[in-house]
Amino acid sequence: MSIDTRTTPPRRRTAPAPRVRPEYRQRMRLADTLQVLCTVSVALVIALFLADGGAARFATPADVLTSLGVLAGLIGTDLLLIMMLLAARLPAIDRAFGHDGAMALHQSLGKPALSLILAHAGLLIVGYALAGEISVVAEVWRMLTVLPDMLLAVIGLGLLVLVVVSSIVIVRHRLPYEVWHIVHLLSYVAVLASLPHQLTVGALLVAGSPQWFYWLALYVGVAGSILVFRVILPVVRSLRARLRVEGVDRVADGVVSIRVSGHRLARLQADAGQFFIWRFWTPGLWWQAHPFSLSAAPTGNSLRITVRSLGDASAALGGLRRGTRVSVEGPYGLFTDRARTSPRIVLVAAGIGVAPIRSLLETASFLPGQATVILRSHTLADSYLADELAELCRARGAEFRVIVGKRPPGVGSWLPADAVAGPVNLLTLVPRLRDADVYVCGPRRWTDEVVRDARSAGLPPRQIHFERFDW
Amino acid sequence: MRIRAAAAAALASVSVLSVGWLVGAPAVQSLQATLTTTLTRPPSNETTGVSSTGGGTGGATTTIDASAPVAEALAPTSVTGTFEGSAVQTRFGPMQVSVTIDNGTITMVTPLQLTNDDRKSVQISNRAAPILRDEVLAAQSANVANVSGATYTTQGYLRSLQAALDAAQL
Repeated sequence: MSIDTRTTPPRRRTAPAPRVRPEYRQRMRLADTLQVLCTVSVALVIALFLADGGAARFATPADVLTSLGVLAGLIGTDLLLIMMLLAARLPAIDRAFGHDGAMALHQSLGKPALSLILAHAGLLIVGYALAGEISVVAEVWRMLTVLPDMLLAVIGLGLLVLVVVSSIVIVRHRLPYEVWHIVHLLSYVAVLASLPHQLTVGALLVAGSPQWFYWLALYVGVAGSILVFRVILPVVRSLRARLRVEGVDRVADGVVSIRVSGHRLARLQADAGQFFIWRFWTPGLWWQAHPFSLSAAPTGNSLRITVRSLGDASAALGGLRRGTRVSVEGPYGLFTDRARTSPRIVLVAAGIGVAPIRSLLETASFLPGQATVILRSHTLADSYLADELAELCRARGAEFRVIVGKRPPGVGSWLPADAVAGPVNLLTLVPRLRDADVYVCGPRRWTDEVVRDARSAGLPPRQIHFERFDW
Repeated sequence: MRIRAAAAAALASVSVLSVGWLVGAPAVQSLQATLTTTLTRPPSNETTGVSSTGGGTGGATTTIDASAPVAEALAPTSVTGTFEGSAVQTRFGPMQVSVTIDNGTITMVTPLQLTNDDRKSVQISNRAAPILRDEVLAAQSANVANVSGATYTTQGYLRSLQAALDAAQL
């Protein structure tokens, strides 16, 4: 079954917009710069090793293993620090990669970093044992008893293994978010615990040497960024914004819109389509924070989110009282008009993914007739905010399509069975697709299908935007 | 853009690595020098019994090598002989050097004990010792610059050397 509530937009002639917007170029330049910096930081630690005469320490097998071990430790630690920066919510990183882009990079570095650190431990044990002509077991014992700070380093390594293992997807989905989160915080302890042995056992980072200054500056920089952007800034912003629950509106079964009022919210510099991490200060909810997208464009004194009760705790959000204190971290994300590259825009939403689409539609820049909104759902009952979308589409001259029906079993598609048989796809729904940016928000696998459809229609990745909600 | 970023990253990385390599080159050469000199020099690490000369720090006791001719010269500038410095405890093990003086001129500094608490320290001191020796021979005193990456070795080496020079009244 398909329902088509199409508004006929007035035709209008306009000068062709530039193919690639300057904002996009700026963002790409920033992303490139950050990537170059990351690569150079790896090269730099190798250079520090070479500057210390490291190139000469490859004469014997023991030397080779030891030198490789030192390099593995240096590069692995550098990657760990980069991972921490990626998770530190630095504004520049969020602007360049978006929150989920940064998180994807963070995840992709996890295993290489851990492998390098494990290789560091293994290579040095074998290298030292060879040099000292003792057994590996005896060498481990000697390291732990003779060398300073090694016990801390071993604890750090153990914690690191715990963090990465707990992050591997399968394990992750079996753990409650809060448990995973606390385990993840241990990575800070792990990195700190490994610092002393780097300074006391390693010959490279001797107090007062240029290497030592650089290394400490790196640690101080990363720790400072985390402190400022993950702790101080959110607290200060929340306190200054004086956010309180203004009202809770029922949207559908288990779905509510929460209106939050505040003071001089323009200072947050939030954009439609972005999300905050929300904390509601009630006795049952204060200890957990959840990411929710804005479902209406932010104003100077109000924010609105639309939330479906999925988890154990978000069910309680429907019962929030007026006046409840709210604190936020954010705004984060690149699911905004700033990421645009083309004059036209296509917004595709499913389920509660409609929230950022709804706010984006409100403020995205397009002329009447240049926007298409596609709302997907199983039944009419779970197409949330459809009336608000229809109203906005009418006001702004956007085409609005609601596509209802279950996806065909066994076929990879984001459309209902009858549409797939059609055949209907993104290109037939939006003939001028190639001049458009496509924004997709919905369940992960459904989102992947839409992205695949857009890619096969010939759309370059820069014109496809999606934000993943799973942490 | 991607290609440009990759090219920039590659270029920057290669330059950083080259600079590191160049900075490290003197250390590499001196290590190679050590390797060749240690092959010709008789092992002097056997004098570990000397560590009884004060577990200590600072100017502790100084033993004068009995086997070496000790010139009790009146004028300090005409000292000739080989003098042992005290064993100086560093964080990575004891350091001890002897100095050979010919007519008031330092002609050789020989390490008797180098920091050897762990393999790493051995590497460091092997690298630092020849650098320090050359610097001392050039400066004709224990007043020389720190060898980067080998601060403890440098401190121990120079303190032991100073003790030896004090003993020689140079």
